[in-house]
Amino acid sequence: MSSRNVLLQVARRGGSFLSLIKKLWQHPKGRVGLILVGLLVVVAVLAPVLAPYDPYDVTQRAEKGLRPSLEHPLGTTITTGQDIFSMLIYGTRVSLLIGITTGVAIAFLGALMGVMAGYIGGFVDNLIMRIVDVLLVIPTLPLIIVLTGLLGRSYFVIVLVFVLFGWTGLARVIRSLVLVLKNSNYVKAAELAGASRWYIMMKHILPGTSHLIIMNTTLTCAGIMVAEAGLSFLGLGDPTAISWGKMLAEAQGGGALLFGAWWWILAPGAGIFLAVFSFMRIGIVMEEIFNPRMKASSSIYKLFKHLNNDYLDEVFRSMDDEESADPPDGLHPAMSEGGHD
Amino acid sequence: MKKSYVIKRILYAVFIFFVVLTLNFFIPRIGVSDPAERYYPPQGAMSEIEYEIIKQYTREQYGFDVSTFQQYIRYLQDLAHFDLGTSLQAGSPKVTELIGQRLPWTLVLSVTTLLISLSIGLLFGTFAAWKRGRWQDTMLLNASTISVALPAFFIALMLSFYLGFELELFPAYTNPNMVGQFDWSWEAIQVVFNNAALPIMSMALGGIVGYSQTTRNSVIAVTNEDFVITARAKGLSHTTVLYKHVLRNAMLPLSTSIGMSISGLIGGAIIIERVFNWQGMGTLFLEANSTSDYPLMMGIMLFLSAFAILANLVTELFYVILDPRVTVGDRR
Repeated sequence: MSSRNVLLQVARRGGSFLSLIKKLWQHPKGRVGLILVGLLVVVAVLAPVLAPYDPYDVTQRAEKGLRPSLEHPLGTTITTGQDIFSMLIYGTRVSLLIGITTGVAIAFLGALMGVMAGYIGGFVDNLIMRIVDVLLVIPTLPLIIVLTGLLGRSYFVIVLVFVLFGWTGLARVIRSLVLVLKNSNYVKAAELAGASRWYIMMKHILPGTSHLIIMNTTLTCAGIMVAEAGLSFLGLGDPTAISWGKMLAEAQGGGALLFGAWWWILAPGAGIFLAVFSFMRIGIVMEEIFNPRMKASSSIYKLFKHLNNDYLDEVFRSMDDEESADPPDGLHPAMSEGGHD
Repeated sequence: MKKSYVIKRILYAVFIFFVVLTLNFFIPRIGVSDPAERYYPPQGAMSEIEYEIIKQYTREQYGFDVSTFQQYIRYLQDLAHFDLGTSLQAGSPKVTELIGQRLPWTLVLSVTTLLISLSIGLLFGTFAAWKRGRWQDTMLLNASTISVALPAFFIALMLSFYLGFELELFPAYTNPNMVGQFDWSWEAIQVVFNNAALPIMSMALGGIVGYSQTTRNSVIAVTNEDFVITARAKGLSHTTVLYKHVLRNAMLPLSTSIGMSISGLIGGAIIIERVFNWQGMGTLFLEANSTSDYPLMMGIMLFLSAFAILANLVTELFYVILDPRVTVGDRR
């Protein structure tokens, strides 16, 4: 089976968003992921209710450096006596907020660019792919540091920068799929019927790519949460909020390593791990559902590359070859018809 | 190797480099029309004339004393002489000089990390492919799922805590005198690697996982090819088939990821260098960031981008030698 047919299969499986959730729920691993993400969202929303102490309260001199106990489930910080459990709960907000908003925004921008490049082709395609090539060689983390320095350290700027430089991967994937969908019979029929380009893109092409987009978005969320933690760790996140990366930086700066305050390091690390892991789980399971050929291990490999900002690169490099080499072949009618709905 | 293909790739790389350096010139100018106003606002006890002098001096330092177009031309001229400008640090050192001082220290980390993760990853990957479907394979898979979700700097902190402070096996922080005292003696080299042990470990974990999964998948893919079955049927030994037929071909997809990961490792070392206070390019970049030293920051960025472009180009051309089929399709 060629990679082209695999992509078509991916496009065919799945239906509405609700049926997707249902499929995930039926998958044992997917259920774990869904429950975890749901839990995190609840924690983030109800943070002020759930947190036993005020995490911003830095005046508890008597409570400094307490080990985990019933009173302070995860202990307190050495420097200011903040309750780590409460900080952890508040940190969920930052990670989820940045992860999800960036993921969704990247999904929109990446899908738009990918569909435009794939469907319109020609100059637009060339331009978009050249932009992708340029963005791929610029080192991401240093660039983000420079831009947050110039534009300010609010979450808005951080999300904006993540989106501006994070859409390339998704755009490539979507483009490859669109190049296949473009030649399917239902798109040709719509073209013959006189539908406008924009209409075809929105009504016929985009729905066929939706599953790939959702799948990628969960993985992007996971990747962005790691990146955000790193940025906060460097002290480049929003200075006003508590985030897991910042907690780790404070722990290191506050001598948690030196005084053996393992609880101060383990807690935020576990938070990052849990959030990233649950989003990743969902992404991997979706991949298994949509693309049965994809073994779990290879999706982890892809995920790994994803977190390194160059995921799927090689897979779709080889696909580019095919596209330029052979003319669009006649697709199996049943396959091309079932593409959207 | 087709000559036209090679020339095309080189020209394209040059084009990308030109776009990148133009971006590199304009990025720090986003929202900053006058660095003097931005970084040196007037202070209380300062007369108008004093402030004018400071402003003029700052503009000259940042190169803002002429129009933007002239600045761009000057930037290109300097680049043609491999001059990335002058840092704002005390003593106005050249950016290229500063990068030259720090680059070897970053290379020590990234090259060693690459070698270690590549060799262990190859070993584990081949092993997992050999035992595919059995518990060893599953275990490796689960281990990689877990390690992917752990940020490298968290692993670095844990290693620094446990191996550095608790067991005292390796220095938890880099000895700040290491750089100055280095004199190529055997003892000095030992000190360097002793200090580098923890940063390398924390960076290598992700690489080991990545390479072992790549190797596993590509070895399994190659094992199912006809020529491997033929080799087996000829009665060749398992080892011969593994080394001469399977691994050689399985290395192909791996070679592309090596090229990309070299440039990624140098840029990605920023956070790890910060954790251990390792005096490499990452620390230099963060120092520059904290003092708004834009000539230095953009110089490092351009250097990293150029490195990435070069690494990609070399990988592409190298790939043609390894797998001559590439030129036939001629992508792009």
